[in-house]
Amino acid sequence: MLRSNIKTTQEDLLEKIQQTEDVVFKELFTKVESIKVFYIKTLSDEAQIQNYIIKPFYEIESPTLFLDYLKSHPKVKPFENEEKTLNQLLVGEVIVFFQAKIFLFDLKMDRQSSVLDTTVETTIQGPQSGFSESIGTNLGLVRQRYPQASLNMESSSIGKVSKTKVITLYDNKTVNQEVLKKVREFLETIDIEMFQSGEQLLDLIKKSQRALFPLMLITERADRVAINLAAGKVVLLVNGSPFAVILPTVMKDFMSSMADIYQTYWVGCFFITLRYIGLFISIVLPSIYVALTAYNPEVFRVQLALSIAGSRSTVPYPAFIEVFFMLIMMELLTEASIRLPKAIGPTATTVGGLILGQAATEAGLVSNIMIIIVSAVAISNFVVPVNNFGAAIRVVKYLLLVLSIFYGLVGVVIGFLLLVSYLVSLESFGKPFLTISEKKPAQN
Amino acid sequence: MKLKRNWVMYLIVGMVVISSLSGCGGYKDIDKRFFVVAIGIDAAKSHTKKYLISLKFAIPSVEKKPNDFIIVSEEADTMAEAVRIIKTKVDKEVDFSHAKVVVFNEKIVQKKMEPHLIYWFSRRRDIQKILWTVIGRPTALEVLKTKPKFEQIPSNSMFLALGKEGTETPYIFGEYLFDFKKRLIEKGLDPFMPIIEVKKGLLVINTAGLFNKKRLKMVLTPEQTKLLYYIFNSEQKSAIKVKSRKLYFIIDTQKIKSSYKMDTSNPNHSIIKTKIKIKGRLEEAMFSPKNSELPAYEKLAEKDIDKQVKNLLLKLQKANLDPIGFGLYYRARHFQNNDWKTWQHIYPNLTFEVHTDVHIEDTGLIE
Repeated sequence: MLRSNIKTTQEDLLEKIQQTEDVVFKELFTKVESIKVFYIKTLSDEAQIQNYIIKPFYEIESPTLFLDYLKSHPKVKPFENEEKTLNQLLVGEVIVFFQAKIFLFDLKMDRQSSVLDTTVETTIQGPQSGFSESIGTNLGLVRQRYPQASLNMESSSIGKVSKTKVITLYDNKTVNQEVLKKVREFLETIDIEMFQSGEQLLDLIKKSQRALFPLMLITERADRVAINLAAGKVVLLVNGSPFAVILPTVMKDFMSSMADIYQTYWVGCFFITLRYIGLFISIVLPSIYVALTAYNPEVFRVQLALSIAGSRSTVPYPAFIEVFFMLIMMELLTEASIRLPKAIGPTATTVGGLILGQAATEAGLVSNIMIIIVSAVAISNFVVPVNNFGAAIRVVKYLLLVLSIFYGLVGVVIGFLLLVSYLVSLESFGKPFLTISEKKPAQN
Repeated sequence: MKLKRNWVMYLIVGMVVISSLSGCGGYKDIDKRFFVVAIGIDAAKSHTKKYLISLKFAIPSVEKKPNDFIIVSEEADTMAEAVRIIKTKVDKEVDFSHAKVVVFNEKIVQKKMEPHLIYWFSRRRDIQKILWTVIGRPTALEVLKTKPKFEQIPSNSMFLALGKEGTETPYIFGEYLFDFKKRLIEKGLDPFMPIIEVKKGLLVINTAGLFNKKRLKMVLTPEQTKLLYYIFNSEQKSAIKVKSRKLYFIIDTQKIKSSYKMDTSNPNHSIIKTKIKIKGRLEEAMFSPKNSELPAYEKLAEKDIDKQVKNLLLKLQKANLDPIGFGLYYRARHFQNNDWKTWQHIYPNLTFEVHTDVHIEDTGLIE
């Protein structure tokens, strides 16, 4: 490359980037040579620049030796084109102009490399730390847990504006090639401006870009990623997000927690059964209550029918308004407890849950039985280990509730049937959503 | 846009289809329903009407004050009429979905029973077919009015006893409506109903009334009732009293199993062999029993029970009643067109053989 070419590249780059405070363009001189460094100081590590560029430049006397140093340094990439160089500059690499050459020195500052504790998918035992917000650290965590030579990765960037780095991880030995192909296609077709975290993919997977049920598992646990890699799944790591995306994901994955494998077999089985019971309760209990009290009280035992009738006798509104009122209150409480500062969160839930429930019954707004039902629904909803799926379930119960108001028990049954048929129609990268058992991938 | 319209169309069509499925009964809150727990049928006092129908409504407990009820009665010729008039007397919708007992006055069933009375229960959607049918003494209304002190929910003591959820005794056998109706129609299987008697504020159930296809024909004694239920295989827990000249003891049973076989190869001399197997232990004895003597006690008990059961069967045969269903048993195994007629000839001339096998496990004490 000619010196004049470098000059123009250098000028072009300087022209394209806004001259802000943190953009550094500096020329260093010795007696014989000069070097130009170009970087953004808020993104690059200045201490490392000092160590890797400035010190050697002054210490290595011969310019040819310094050129060799630059050429052979593992963190250095050669110049390809202007466009790419600008992009690299914007993510924190240092551009070095030396003699007639341009080098890209990878001296990014890793600000979010500290490993976070798991907060969403907590387990009592087993590993307690999750991912960090730095893709490099995350990759390291996965590598550490999955020391296989066959671990392969493909890098891509998503987002027209954000240009977020996404790494597709899979095990060459176990991965299903068709799934991999579909994932690649999917990543290519994504049309979005700002891509910040893997959760955004949940909607993008649908043509309408509007989804109810998640078809990918978003996890913050490195052990979960490792176990899924071994099972032949594809993992996406997104820069800046402490969550990894696991594909393809079916319902039983959403219902399993990492705690299951850290328990003895039968205890694990019991927990899984418990979760399915919880899932069923949180979907149908409110609608069953309306259907039974307002349409088919003969299903109750006479003793229970009378006590429900007794506890409802002070309630002025029909059962479905009572149910809606309490469910909405409960949803507000759940929603509020996420927003509230951690310090007052528990207080607010106690005040809201206990006192509001108690007062509502005493004021005759809702019946005692209703309080039991609402709390049962609320508690069992959080038994679902994956948050995205639990949230979808929270929405679904209202559909059944509406059907039960108009059509009673038949409505609940039909609604449940519709729900199941919808779930049957879903698929995640070629895998039916309601897959019950999967074959272990063959080690090919 | 086309896709969207399709979606709305599907929704509307779906709603219409589902609404056609919703069946009877619209939205009615549980507190706007008045639950009938028991129905009583007596003869009307006036001569213009036939029946006095009483409905026992449970009043839901608001402030932990259980066992509150109200009985509303009405004279009418039919059930439906009475219910329509009673509906005008209460503020909430009358709901029969928890009506679990219908009590007939003995006098009503002694006369020729009108089928529409029974079929009304079967026809109504909201009356469950597991309704118990019983005979009430002295009147049905009196049975409904009785409120034992231990009863927490109206008529619950009747439900617990008839359903054997509570007390377990060989003297009670709850007869369901569906079974009663079947017995009313089926040739070779005659209806029966347990009898509930009001005695000193308590409800006593230990006898049964046997019907032919039209009316109450015979009332059994408590002991006979118990033996009949042995043949129904209804209860394992029982006590059998054995009395001879010297010995007097009571067996607490753990297992009672009965079966019968019919031998009609000789048309003039048909035999029904009934086998009853009883397992138990001595509960009380008026003497000092010995383990070595147990076979002798067993023999004594066997002889005693053989005789009693045979007497009961002969009594039923004499009255031409068949609550056990020997006729149905015969008809199920003989495929001629005139099987019912043949059976009617066979039954009066049947010979009964009863073989009881009593096994006393121990004397209940260490010698």
